[in-house]
Amino acid sequence: MARESLLVATLVELADSLVDDFDVIDVLSLLSLRCVEAIDIDAAGVMLASPGGELQVIASSSESMRVLELFQIQANEGPCVDCYGDGHAIVNHSLKDPDDRWPQFSPRAIAYGFHSVHCLPMRLRGRTIGALNLFRKERGTLDASDVVVAQGLADVATITILQHQTSIDAATLNNQLSIALNSRIIIEQAKGMVAQATNCDMDHAFERLRAHARNHNLGLTVVATSIVQGDFTGNDLDPRPPKAR
Amino acid sequence: MATDRLLSFLMLMAKRERAHPKDGSLCAVAAEVTNLSGAGIALVSSGQQYTSVCTSNDVAHTLMDLEMTVGEGPCVDACISDIAIDESNLVATFDRRWLAYSPLAKEAGAHAVFAFPVRIGAIRLGALSFYRDEPGPLSAAQSSDAYLMASVIGRAILAMQAGAPRDTLAAELEREANFDFSVHQAAGMIAVQGSMSVGNALVALRAHAFATNASLSELAIRVVLREIFFDPNPGSWRVESRSGYG
Repeated sequence: MARESLLVATLVELADSLVDDFDVIDVLSLLSLRCVEAIDIDAAGVMLASPGGELQVIASSSESMRVLELFQIQANEGPCVDCYGDGHAIVNHSLKDPDDRWPQFSPRAIAYGFHSVHCLPMRLRGRTIGALNLFRKERGTLDASDVVVAQGLADVATITILQHQTSIDAATLNNQLSIALNSRIIIEQAKGMVAQATNCDMDHAFERLRAHARNHNLGLTVVATSIVQGDFTGNDLDPRPPKAR
Repeated sequence: MATDRLLSFLMLMAKRERAHPKDGSLCAVAAEVTNLSGAGIALVSSGQQYTSVCTSNDVAHTLMDLEMTVGEGPCVDACISDIAIDESNLVATFDRRWLAYSPLAKEAGAHAVFAFPVRIGAIRLGALSFYRDEPGPLSAAQSSDAYLMASVIGRAILAMQAGAPRDTLAAELEREANFDFSVHQAAGMIAVQGSMSVGNALVALRAHAFATNASLSELAIRVVLREIFFDPNPGSWRVESRSGYG
């Protein structure tokens, strides 16, 4: 698909997802996936800051342990910490090893095949609430238009967190961040239960949860919560992911 | 990650632990860091039974007792609704939020009450409540600190349930500040292996990390890699050399 058509389709799809009671993690996972398709990058993820300032990944284009690990290291150091700290985008940063700036993050990212990184702040009325992190296997620079698209998607991610809230005072925003971050933990707990019950890996467990949620028109977090509360088990999930829409 | 603010909370906790090793420090620290009049922590059991863990002063103690007695109030609402409760102007008029609680809480000296759910994913542990002797909303910093404190308390309760002594909680929390995803995934796996709740699985995981002097993250990764299993009969851990899925 041509770049513009892909982008328009993505925006329509995202707008379509922002219905009543949408699932934040599901929509942000979709957004991360679409980033990889719309921009010349290989992996994407959204990191959110807790009300206490702790960065945590909330959604990623890949649920593989390696990619998630690259986000988790950034609780301590990395492009997202810097981007979140000063609110400035990091674009076309070539990774090096060894690296004084990010001594843990850079070598690990390179070991996993990534050579450049970008990070766009998620800003809301003067407060940075997180960052959209993009990884690229190739060195070299992104088109200026790619950067505009990426910042646009980071802004959509910000709106997603607000979940139809019209007034966004600090307390409301803290509540939304806290709910979103806690939802991600519920999903991790459910992934572990599904992986154990059905003897699959964590990526597959996530796919099963998401497919079941889609098939039954339920929120991803709702399905995950039901699993953790013991309402049903991993074996009761729909057998395999449906075909892409 | 241990942010600067979190570290400053833990330092305060450690200081109080040294000064009052038997009293526990969570409620006092919660009230101090948020600069509110008092704080209390209530735990909820699966049967919606509430128990008070600690309170920071006499008024907070009275408020907690009141809430336990009448069965309504900020902690109960935070536990049931799973969102923060903000009653910045406690009124005793007919349209009050809590019919029994509000007038008595005001009489006890509270003019504003707030509560924050204490939870780890789908594990609902209880709630952290605050009162203030004058009405008014929380500032942005107070709100952020209250959320951060609720998360510290969740980890502290877990550590206590896993057998950590109360007078070294701050050091334990600092050592285990990083609850990465593998910890939550491992808790889910152990819950299925041991046919127990995810909450109990997390406690079992934490206790085993203590017992073997391993870090929680290291143990969790071994669980996720299927190198170590929980065997419900007789309730022991089993190590396998074969590693499997990630």
